[in-house]
Amino acid sequence: MSHLATAQPAMPHPDLDPLSAPPFPKAALPILRNPQLRHNVAHAIDVIQAKRAKLVTEKADWQELRSAASAIRAQALENLGAYLEEFETRCTAAGGTVHWAADAAEARQTILDLLRQENASEVIKIKTMTSAEIQLNPFLEAAGVSVFETDLAEIILQLGDDEPSHIVVPALHVNRSQVREIFARRMGLKDLSDDPHALTAAARTYLRQKFLNIPTAIGGANFLVAETGSVAVVESEGNGRMCLTLPRTMITLAGIEKVLPRFQDLEVMLQVLARSATGERMNPYTSLWTGVTPGDGPQRFHVVLLDNGRSSILSRTKERQTLKCIRCAACMNACPVYRQTGGHAYGSVYPGPIGAILTPQLMQMHHAQSLPFASSLCGACYEVCPVKINIPEVLLELRAQVVNQERHQFARLLDPMYLGMKIANLLFQKAWRFHLAQRLGRIGARLFTQRDGWIHSLPSIGAKWTQTRDLRALSSQTFHEWWAARKGEAK
Amino acid sequence: MSATVSTPGSTPGPASGQSRKRILDRVRSATHGSGHGFAEPADAYAALPRTYVRRGTLTAEARLALMIERLREYDAEVIECTPANLVASIAAQLTASGKHTFAAPEGLNSDWLVPGFDWKADHRLTTAEIEQAEGVVTACFCGVADSGTIVLHHSPAEGRRVLTLLPDWYLCILRASQVVETLPEYFDRCTQPPVLVTWISGPSATADIEMTRIKGVHGPRFLHVILVRDEI
Repeated sequence: MSHLATAQPAMPHPDLDPLSAPPFPKAALPILRNPQLRHNVAHAIDVIQAKRAKLVTEKADWQELRSAASAIRAQALENLGAYLEEFETRCTAAGGTVHWAADAAEARQTILDLLRQENASEVIKIKTMTSAEIQLNPFLEAAGVSVFETDLAEIILQLGDDEPSHIVVPALHVNRSQVREIFARRMGLKDLSDDPHALTAAARTYLRQKFLNIPTAIGGANFLVAETGSVAVVESEGNGRMCLTLPRTMITLAGIEKVLPRFQDLEVMLQVLARSATGERMNPYTSLWTGVTPGDGPQRFHVVLLDNGRSSILSRTKERQTLKCIRCAACMNACPVYRQTGGHAYGSVYPGPIGAILTPQLMQMHHAQSLPFASSLCGACYEVCPVKINIPEVLLELRAQVVNQERHQFARLLDPMYLGMKIANLLFQKAWRFHLAQRLGRIGARLFTQRDGWIHSLPSIGAKWTQTRDLRALSSQTFHEWWAARKGEAK
Repeated sequence: MSATVSTPGSTPGPASGQSRKRILDRVRSATHGSGHGFAEPADAYAALPRTYVRRGTLTAEARLALMIERLREYDAEVIECTPANLVASIAAQLTASGKHTFAAPEGLNSDWLVPGFDWKADHRLTTAEIEQAEGVVTACFCGVADSGTIVLHHSPAEGRRVLTLLPDWYLCILRASQVVETLPEYFDRCTQPPVLVTWISGPSATADIEMTRIKGVHGPRFLHVILVRDEI
């Protein structure tokens, strides 16, 4: 793709804070005009999709696993209070300390306080989307703590001053020559090649001393086990194992929805997660630990349980299923909209279909209202979801809420979409109105129909359609008219 | 939090206590008061649908063949041997590795510490000492054929977690009787939930750059397995 690698339009720094990010259609525009980025995203998605499809097909009991995974997650949410308390009790008994944070600010402060107790001026991190959600890194940096991401993709983003565009492969929008440029510049490696082996080796060398010397780590949780008070982290590179084995102190940040009832539930979750996420039968490393083990791993262990809007999602019957999510990203890989725009257009660390329902809800429907509309409702996300979240159903519910919010705004009277719907509402009420509109429409359309039988350009708001596609000329006879005429002939 | 350094089992501060109550109250009111108290909702849990495959159907030979095939797909090197041949097989693997310094868990069968190599038994080895080892040899708890997964519970023969992490070359001794076909069969073998688990499926890897799978980022780059054909 060398012809694409040159003369790229400068991309603005992506804004993933839903409080300030532009609405989806506006944020998507510069991306749609960036062929390199679209090529990078499409390539990565195609590879993951093909691998996932192969491994899901080989699993004869895939649908049964999905049903079980969905039921286990639903059970955990329905009884979340009991399971959270059970987790807290078991984890504390095993030597861990459990903290509760109602919102992002409290979670950030709790973590900073813990780092201050440790006199930590540096911290190593396992990739955690929850920490991106609470914008932990900039907060810690501002407080004088140097943060070192250790996941390869996160290093690429951190050193490249970029933002994640995917929840499993956060740098999938960056290609090898771009990674080479970032590493060469930030690690001072002038002769670095763009071979992924060389780039990976550079990251290994860059991090090795940090793993061995920095005594404090922050990570997330893929699962919390109520029965045992254990935490599970699913990863590939071994950076997670480094962070949760070598330091003196480990701090885990986890959303309250991450709980599973029992250890044995992992027999389902681990079978569906890697297959859905990376198209592997199992990811290279999964670690589970319980509090503190004398002589093995960190001797101080903290869990920060984060609400930050989750309990309010829990209270809504139709939307509650959003919290079943295990962050596998299969929905974004399957989404025709995400494939075109990548993740940055969603203005949130959670992109794609799950982000389109999760982000506005985490914002209590006060921000990111354009996201529920960033979907064609094709249902591909629901089909691949390993915990059967009916994303289209939640999208429609959220769209209804957004429309209800706008019902009271005067500005809607100037919105062509709103006015069009009002007119359609009037026309569809009576058959004669509809038939009249059809006739008038046919006459009107004739003015724009070219000799080849196509409409190539329409004026005014019609141009929004014809800018990118042609419209076939309307038939001279509707089905109803044809049917009536045919019946007449038969008589 | 108190000003002193927190110790294991220390209690979180009063702010966290207020948030704890707030969050749990919100959660309980969101779920209409269900999940009250500590009692597990056992009946509802027992009724969850579990119609997926729990038990494998392969013959013992086919199960082992699958385990080997799946391990090799991850680029792990697998050799088979009889119990009588095990020590000789270990020696052959170590020699072929071209490495000399090996770490070993403190509970590893002492017969396996074959002579001619520099063994560092893990009697509280420092991280730096483990980092200097070129390789490591351990036993394991279980092998899962369906996904080619090796499971460590970090018993004295399996070693502390750091031991199988820092050295670049890892040799795992897996007995045929430890191999199950499905992941649920592994869970059935856990009479108690384990305190520490590492599930290992192939060498450390990443696909973060253009989805190209690269072996060995931070964990061991080379995974070798000796499958011991004991009674199965």
